[in-house]
Amino acid sequence: MADLSVNLAGIKMKNPVMSASGTFGSGSEYASLFDISKMGALVTKGLTLRPRAGNKPPRICETPAGLLNAVGLQNPGVEAFISDVLPEMLGFGVPVIANIAGSTTDEFVEMARQLSGTGIVGLEINISCPNVKTGGMALGTVPEVAAQVVEAVVKETDLPVIVKLTPNVTNIVELARAVAGAGADALSLINTLVGMVIDVEQRKPVLGNVVGGLSGPAIRPVGVWAVWQVAQAVDIPIVGMGGICTGQDALEFILAGASAVAVGSAFFNNPMAAVRIITELDEYCTKHGVDKLQDLVGAAWKE
Amino acid sequence: MNGPGEFICRVSAQVSLASDSYLLKLEAPTLAWTTSPGQFAMLQCGEGLDPFLRRPLSIHQVERKRGVVYFLYQVRGQGTRWLAKRSKGDMIPLLGPLGRGFTVNPAGGKGLLVGAGMGVAPLLLLASELANQQWEVVTLMGAQTASGILRPDAFMDYGEVRTATDDGSSGMKGTILDLLNKELDDSSYDMIFACGPLPVLKGVQSISIDQGIPAELSLEERMACGVGACLGCTCGGADGEYLRVCQEGPVFKAGEVDIDG
Ligand SMILES: Cc1cc2nc3c(=O)[nH]c(=O)nc-3n(C[C@H](O)[C@H](O)[C@H](O)COP(=O)(O)OP(=O)(O)OC[C@H]3O[C@@H](n4cnc5c(N)ncnc54)[C@H](O)[C@@H]3O)c2cc1C
Ligand SMILES: Cc1cc2nc3c(=O)[nH]c(=O)nc-3n(C[C@H](O)[C@H](O)[C@H](O)COP(=O)(O)O)c2cc1C
Ligand code: FES
Repeated sequence: MADLSVNLAGIKMKNPVMSASGTFGSGSEYASLFDISKMGALVTKGLTLRPRAGNKPPRICETPAGLLNAVGLQNPGVEAFISDVLPEMLGFGVPVIANIAGSTTDEFVEMARQLSGTGIVGLEINISCPNVKTGGMALGTVPEVAAQVVEAVVKETDLPVIVKLTPNVTNIVELARAVAGAGADALSLINTLVGMVIDVEQRKPVLGNVVGGLSGPAIRPVGVWAVWQVAQAVDIPIVGMGGICTGQDALEFILAGASAVAVGSAFFNNPMAAVRIITELDEYCTKHGVDKLQDLVGAAWKE
Repeated sequence: MNGPGEFICRVSAQVSLASDSYLLKLEAPTLAWTTSPGQFAMLQCGEGLDPFLRRPLSIHQVERKRGVVYFLYQVRGQGTRWLAKRSKGDMIPLLGPLGRGFTVNPAGGKGLLVGAGMGVAPLLLLASELANQQWEVVTLMGAQTASGILRPDAFMDYGEVRTATDDGSSGMKGTILDLLNKELDDSSYDMIFACGPLPVLKGVQSISIDQGIPAELSLEERMACGVGACLGCTCGGADGEYLRVCQEGPVFKAGEVDIDG
């Protein structure tokens, strides 16, 4: 067994494989399929201060090597999450990171406050959701605005703050620098790419929300490129994601500079994807004489 | 029930029926024993990542002692076209059993099954379980023409079968809702169980409410995870909040859902 462990800005994980926000429920949905305690960490569905009903259906549409989703942050609100869902998630004995999606800076700060001392080990600031009208991506496309949100949350909480960035920008490096400068402890990239599909028989958009976020293997090269650029520009750790389905996919992100990886859409193709990825990472290390997987972080560009 | 499992199942037979539909027989002993009527499975319908999502199909019938499960499906697009090409010995990964199925009250009663088109798929296992629990079963089947009436003989093992077709080539000339109204004029039932396109389900829903006969409706929605994790498959609930078709459904009580068919 190679050493797959990682310390992500103070969050200790036995391997770098996390669940991507919004794709893994509370984990209990998959508990009859594999041992959830094998995962490196779990990330919650995007949480908002108040309950959100989400967008009108249809919410998903398959695309070549991926899917569009427009769930629209359906969640019970942070308070109900803490009382009704979190205990179940903590029961797996795996670090749990809360993905929070405020529509204003004050909402982010309030959620950070409510989540501290609950057993959550880190916050993932979602300023990259393409499926909501206020907040979401609007806060994550202008560097100054993003930095302001991050600064306010960092001031409020002692938890590690991971900032999740959108690839729907002209210059992701500039954004990454801004939030790193504002005190972010780590970055997650990437969230989904905006897109749409039209039903030619109905002559109407397929999604109830018209537009949605593209995920899955189709976006993997976009994610790898984002990690490659950002990793060379900032010195905080990165969680890489976007279409990771195999150990080889995860390694691409790690070699590009990600310390950890998240698995999302792959669960829909193969519910055992995370187990497969962890096994294949270990096999790769054994095969190539790598003692510590973390030694490979950024190896594709490091001297 | 302890939650779904992931199984790689061997095809033991596949038969082509009329109207581009197929009956697929898989070796799936655990699924055969753990599933209940109205539940479904997510089948991987391709090699590797194309198509990316699995396809939801209802459990049509099981033979528990033989460890086999049947699916009845129609070729619609890429996934089902791939599935139709599988033959004996091929392997198909699937996730199941999934969702909340029909209620089979062990007290027995008189049940009316309403299957429009491919909507008959989940009703055969239901008919057999109802018959096991001493229910009297009548099945109404509807389609455009006689060739769209799927497996009427199989349903006759459990009770009477009546049909309706648009062109009158099988049974009554008219819609399945016409047939349903006529049936309810002629006899009384304790419960209606329905599956089919939304306009039919909406019709059954209002008949159920108007006549005070409890009904359960099996819905469809596009799905990604199939296990309740992604919130992608929701339909409108009667009290305004969204319900997951894969988890709170696919079978709902008629009063639980808001159908805009
Ligand atoms: C719970 C449930 C049970 C079902 N049981 C059966 C069954 O027993 N027999 C049967 O013939 N069909 C059944 N269906 C419908 C079946 O899943 C679709 O016909 C099938 O997914 C079409 O896939 P395709 O690749 O051939 O078509 P495509 O049109 O290429 O599919 C493209 C995408 O749309 C989705 N999609 C298309 N039509 C539907 C639909 N009506 N409902 C949900 N998703 C859809 C597919 O899953 C896929 O993601 C069921 C659907 C659900 C939700
Ligand atoms: C159905 C679905 C729901 C998602 N919900 C969220 C969310 O609530 N918050 C968030 O930050 N990202 C969300 N995402 C984005 C994923 O976490 C991830 O960033 C993206 O899907 C790319 O990874 P993947 O290709 O492995 O899925 C969602 C993605 C999908 C497919
Ligand atoms: S398909 Fe994912 S919640 Fe139903």
